Amino acid sequence: MWKAVKDREAGFLLPSSFATRIRSHRVASLDLSNHKEIVSPHNGAINSLQVDLTEARYLLSGSSDGSAAVYDIQHATDYERGLIAKHKSLFVVDKQHNHGHRYAISTAIWYPVDTGLFITGSFDHYIKVWDTNTTQVVMDFKMPGKVYRTAMSSIATTHMLIAAGSTDVQVRLCDIASGAFTHTLSGHRDGVMSLEWSTSSEWILVTGGCDGAIRFWDIRRAGCFRVLDQSRSQLGRRPPLAESTSKKGSVTGQSSSVKSMVSQRRIPLGNEMKQLRAHRKSQNLTRGPVVQRLHPGLSSSHNRATAHYGAVTGLRATGDGMYLLSSGSDSRLRLWDVDSGCNTLVNFEAMRLQPTKALQLAVTQDSSLVFVPCLATVKAYDVRSGMTFRTFRGHYELVNCCCLSSQDQELYTGSNDRQILVWSPASPVIAEVEEDGKGGWDSVADQDNWSD
Amino acid sequence: MSVWNYVVTAHKPTNVTHSCVGNFTSPQELNLIIAKCTRIEIHLLTPHGLQPMLDVPIYGRIATLELFRPHGEPQDFLFIATERYKFCVLQWDAETSELITRAMGDVSDRIGRPTDNGQIGIIDPDCRLIGLHLYDGLFKVIPFDNKGQLKEAFNIRLEELQVLDIKFLYGCAKPTIVVLYQDNKDARHVKTYEVALKDKDFVEGPWAQNNLDNGAGLLIPVPMPLGGVIIIGEETIVYCSATAFKAIPIRPSIIRAYGRVDVDGSRYLLSDNAGLLHLLVITHERERVTGLKIEHLGETSVASTISYLDNAVVYVGSSYGDSQLIKLNLQPDAKGSYVEVLERYVNLGPIVDFCVVDLERQGQGQVVTCSGAYKDGSLRVVRNGIGINEQASVELQGIKGLWSLRSSTNDPYDTFLVVSFISETRILAMNMDDELEETEIEGFYAQAQTLFCHNAMHDQLVQVTANSVRLVSSTSRDLLDQWNAPSGFSVNVATANASQVLLATGGGHLVYIEIGNGKLVEAKHIQLEYEISCLDINPIGENSNYSSLAAVGMWTDISVRIFSLPSLELLTKENLGGEIIPRSVLLCTFEGVSYLLCALGDGHLFNFLLNTSTGELSNRKKVSLGTQPITLRTFSSKDTTHVFAASDRPTVIYSSNKKLLYSNVNLKEVSHICPFNSAAFPDSLAIAKEGELSIGAIDDIQKLHIRTIPLGEHARRICHQEQSRTFAVCSLKNCQTSTEETEMHFVRLLDDQSFEFISTYPLDTYEYGCSIISCSFSDDNNVYYCVGTAYVLPEENEPSKGRILVFLVEDGKLQLIAEKETKGAVYSLNAFNGKLLAAINQKIQLYKWMLRDDGSRELQSECGHHGHILALYVQTRGDFIIVGDLMKSISLLLYKHEEGAIEELARDYNANWMTAVEILDDDIYLGAENNFNLFTVRKNSDAATDEERGRLEVVGEYHLGEFVNRFRHGSLVMRLPDSEAGHIPTVIFGTVNGVIGIVASLPHDQYVFLEKLQSNLVKVIKGVGGLSHEQWRSFNNEKKTVDARNFLDGDLIESFLDLSRSRMEEISKAMGVSVEELCKRVEELTRLH
Repeated sequence: MWKAVKDREAGFLLPSSFATRIRSHRVASLDLSNHKEIVSPHNGAINSLQVDLTEARYLLSGSSDGSAAVYDIQHATDYERGLIAKHKSLFVVDKQHNHGHRYAISTAIWYPVDTGLFITGSFDHYIKVWDTNTTQVVMDFKMPGKVYRTAMSSIATTHMLIAAGSTDVQVRLCDIASGAFTHTLSGHRDGVMSLEWSTSSEWILVTGGCDGAIRFWDIRRAGCFRVLDQSRSQLGRRPPLAESTSKKGSVTGQSSSVKSMVSQRRIPLGNEMKQLRAHRKSQNLTRGPVVQRLHPGLSSSHNRATAHYGAVTGLRATGDGMYLLSSGSDSRLRLWDVDSGCNTLVNFEAMRLQPTKALQLAVTQDSSLVFVPCLATVKAYDVRSGMTFRTFRGHYELVNCCCLSSQDQELYTGSNDRQILVWSPASPVIAEVEEDGKGGWDSVADQDNWSD
Repeated sequence: MSVWNYVVTAHKPTNVTHSCVGNFTSPQELNLIIAKCTRIEIHLLTPHGLQPMLDVPIYGRIATLELFRPHGEPQDFLFIATERYKFCVLQWDAETSELITRAMGDVSDRIGRPTDNGQIGIIDPDCRLIGLHLYDGLFKVIPFDNKGQLKEAFNIRLEELQVLDIKFLYGCAKPTIVVLYQDNKDARHVKTYEVALKDKDFVEGPWAQNNLDNGAGLLIPVPMPLGGVIIIGEETIVYCSATAFKAIPIRPSIIRAYGRVDVDGSRYLLSDNAGLLHLLVITHERERVTGLKIEHLGETSVASTISYLDNAVVYVGSSYGDSQLIKLNLQPDAKGSYVEVLERYVNLGPIVDFCVVDLERQGQGQVVTCSGAYKDGSLRVVRNGIGINEQASVELQGIKGLWSLRSSTNDPYDTFLVVSFISETRILAMNMDDELEETEIEGFYAQAQTLFCHNAMHDQLVQVTANSVRLVSSTSRDLLDQWNAPSGFSVNVATANASQVLLATGGGHLVYIEIGNGKLVEAKHIQLEYEISCLDINPIGENSNYSSLAAVGMWTDISVRIFSLPSLELLTKENLGGEIIPRSVLLCTFEGVSYLLCALGDGHLFNFLLNTSTGELSNRKKVSLGTQPITLRTFSSKDTTHVFAASDRPTVIYSSNKKLLYSNVNLKEVSHICPFNSAAFPDSLAIAKEGELSIGAIDDIQKLHIRTIPLGEHARRICHQEQSRTFAVCSLKNCQTSTEETEMHFVRLLDDQSFEFISTYPLDTYEYGCSIISCSFSDDNNVYYCVGTAYVLPEENEPSKGRILVFLVEDGKLQLIAEKETKGAVYSLNAFNGKLLAAINQKIQLYKWMLRDDGSRELQSECGHHGHILALYVQTRGDFIIVGDLMKSISLLLYKHEEGAIEELARDYNANWMTAVEILDDDIYLGAENNFNLFTVRKNSDAATDEERGRLEVVGEYHLGEFVNRFRHGSLVMRLPDSEAGHIPTVIFGTVNGVIGIVASLPHDQYVFLEKLQSNLVKVIKGVGGLSHEQWRSFNNEKKTVDARNFLDGDLIESFLDLSRSRMEEISKAMGVSVEELCKRVEELTRLH
């Protein structure tokens, strides 16, 4: 690290790549923290974790016992043996609270603009908006079924909508400004377990349903405008030069050349032709006014496409807004190109995922690694190659959620074992105790014996 | 409170990042355009070298700079893209000599991650489109329409994520790019794509090449008729096209800069990171490439950009050393080098560290920087003002005047030095041994004070005393003619040039005498109503021997008047106002503009623009140079005329960009000066100071004087020790052994006068010097150098071991007194309450200096503080410690004496990646961060809640656009107690681009005034390329962009002085303050640096 600092100082290393490099080094060295602990007040599985988006200082957790808690992860409440920082919850809202949820909290998220509000969703059908400072409910929304997930857009400047997925087939948008539902998005044939707002447009919402479909919605328009299809890949997207020029000659009669090209490329699919053509069309869709014209027709023709066999349990857009990751009860993780809606066919190595529960995935800031709860472990995969990068073992039971603080490069994971574990970048020196003369710790005595 | 800050550049960026050559200013003229990060310079190629035409700031960090010529245009346009995703197309307006904006826009995207390897901007050689690679996975295209106008941009997905370089291929029917990229397995390949403008997509290109050199990093497209691309690797160079593939091995080196020599693209200049220049030749038979050849040419600075100009003259722009203009000779010199350096352009970048010292003990700070890198590492001594290097001096009391004389009109050198005293005149001359010796000029009257003397035409000398004017032959030295003052009157003031004498006697008589061959002729005599205080007839017209104007300063009505000669008709009278009489007037010309300068008895100086034909005065300006009467005198240096204003604060007045500049001189009080150009002391000045006459040579005339001490190694930390009069430097040297490159690290001791290495302490293998201070400890009178080091082992990501070394300077040697091993890199050291405070990896550690039983000393750790990611930068004040963390902004710690513990009081919870910190005052701390921003935070000790007290409140934010490596308290200028600027605390910063800047904490009322001025200036001064000042200065990082607050852009404010009068008036009207007052207040600010 000193080398990087030295290179940055002299201008050999761009400051931006300095930051990227240090971050990825730190993420690569994540391990169960030897200096930081979160004291979980929950008596049930941890279902949801989120670090606030403004300061990356407060962690919000939601648990199956119907409680939600907030921790200051920057400032320890006390130290054990002077070194291990204990982060106790700043407050807990649970069933004892006047307006607490009656059943499990499945989702707890921060209001993206500041830490003054947070939102919880529960199996008791309610979504509640809390004032952080008074820990009172300022608003609630009654949903038609158990709430699986809520999401707010971190880039929205013109709306304050909570998107909520529940056991009901409809996705609802709850408006904090008015306290009412503003939209019901219909299209899924089963409950919606996962939701994600686009990181590039405040109007685009992505939902993943128990029907295996991932739908893209532009909330300014009716209907969904895209359904991801696991069998549509981007292979052959850019035809070689010779063919593309020949294609130019006859726009309609391209069948023969394209077909031959496709067969050369050996796409393992039955009806390549259709796929390809559809794909080309959809590419245009994302650009300009053409989108609106083709809108209604498209969504119906693709209604049955699925992204996963079984339910879509988790969704996560990469920070750069170019890709979407989805996990399904088919124990698959898929990487989608957001622009074209294609399955990138990145083969994420063998994993076993919880099939019935919504999972919370995490992606590094540079979109290079994805953290996936895999039963009692969390696995980190390289997003581009699909290779397993690391496996984090520490929880005793199934892991439900992981959350990466991009500011500190710390990973927080919540599990059915009721623990929130902190995984922090290795800092070997922290274990060391200098002869501070303060004494009191066992290690000091140990060291003194052989350091002199 | 230091909340209100004013940021100004004292030394502009000198790091050359881009350069290009083309016909920009006219179809016939060849221009070199240089980008220095936030500035562009336009030069014209002339047979005599480069002639600067324009130097303008850009409101952005320049990411790409390209010249291109749209279809049907006779000359080139300039395309600039900035790192914050703005672009503009500029065209030269020959009439106004200004840049006009042809197009501009924003190319930022919501999606995509900014590229790690730097932004790429390229223009299709056939001018069909501009391609930009700004985000990983996206290629942005800005197409041209057939009229050469830019159309709407669009993105194309680029599957290759780790793109290293992209270039357009020449001679393709469709615009075609070649992409050099790295795959998941770190193998490197090139691939070509055709851009299908209609489909807004790529089409697979004509060819690709897999598995290249692992160090391949640069693509050079080859023009037609050959076509294809050259791929520069670390061990091979490959030529690649659809039909050919040729490779040659090279000596392992990293090549980052190239310059094309021939239009047909058969020869290229390549420069590697050791500064070696190579010529790469593509051998070909007609259009078929047969091979590659590489030839070593010689050594230059490490190039960041190479531009082949013309006639084997090449511009080498450098980021790590001085930029150069070189000539490639056909024949090698004795050392086998074909390179001849024609000119060097000083570059201070990267300023990795610096210290502020006062070596001459004059109360004026000098900055000594660690500049440059690799072999071009150096120390630079930067001082405000002009240096006079004293070469000889004699003790002489009571000098009243000083003139130099030549022995004949055509003699290039001065022979005599006439020194006038209250009742005598002595003449000194150079003898054969180049010594000054007293001599006599028989015709001169030596028993009286000389009022003026001068060389006259026809080998004559003229001397004016109180009673007479004497004309003396310079060859025979005999008196030729004499003019006597009328009885009862004595001459008070007099002046002369080669053919004229003007003098004033008591009673307001003004006498004009013309000098003939052996004759003095009184040509005109008038009487004025008041006494005359000063006169000047310095010739400023075409005739260098004759002036048609005379300037006269008056007592009583405090005016300056212009008379015509020989008629002595009054042309202009300008009342100066006030009660201080003018003591010296001077007619002079700078850069073809004529001025009248008029200095008052209280150290103020007026300057006027002078119309030489009508004698009209305009554009009056007043500045304060000192507190004592000023004597003005012209002198030449490097064929340019300057004015020396002798007073208690001697100043050189010169002009740059047709603007008068005042630069102080490193001398205390000067009473008189005259140019003295002798064979032994060419281009020197004779200077009369308190009790002393000295002769000295003057440095280059510029505001900042820079002295270079080349080290040949990369200095990284510097510190000065007053007591031993030494500098200590941590440096590293790259050593090339036969097999591999190794680095050696040293602690070097330098003499602070000669800057010679006087002692060296080599560090261990892998041991780096990270920090250095000079300090003393409680209960010990010695002053030590403390050096913090780190062992950087190849297998370790983060150093786990380091040392603190304590040295004492004894007999000019570094003596190691104590050493202490640490558990990590010692990033920072500070003297703290007679103890030593070290930042070691995550930890802040306090050491005390203990006396052991055997009388030796050692460092003993007292207490520490954990909780940082990496404590890189630490500053202290009293018991307070502020820590600049790698990525967690600033935190404030307090040392508690009673408990012997360090506790955290507060911190800033923003995610700033720090690069430097400084304490402005008890409550306000200044930080610089990774995205080129500055910010200030305030301690909230009075806040109501613990939560608020534990939080450092951000009070100021500003985008500097420069990577700051170091802040230091201090000032580059002498602080005059009487001036307002004397009380403004300043902090100096040094940056990677070689900028030395000042952060000055202003009083609130002044801040408010200047803020208003700035907002008015923004409306009048438009950014080049239509770039917005507000956006440029807005604080910007990955998470947020917010408007600048509590920081002012001093560079913008000071550019007020460059505005035309009419625009100044426009601003004056908007401000409701007179132009004079505005000028005065802004000029006052320019005194800060």
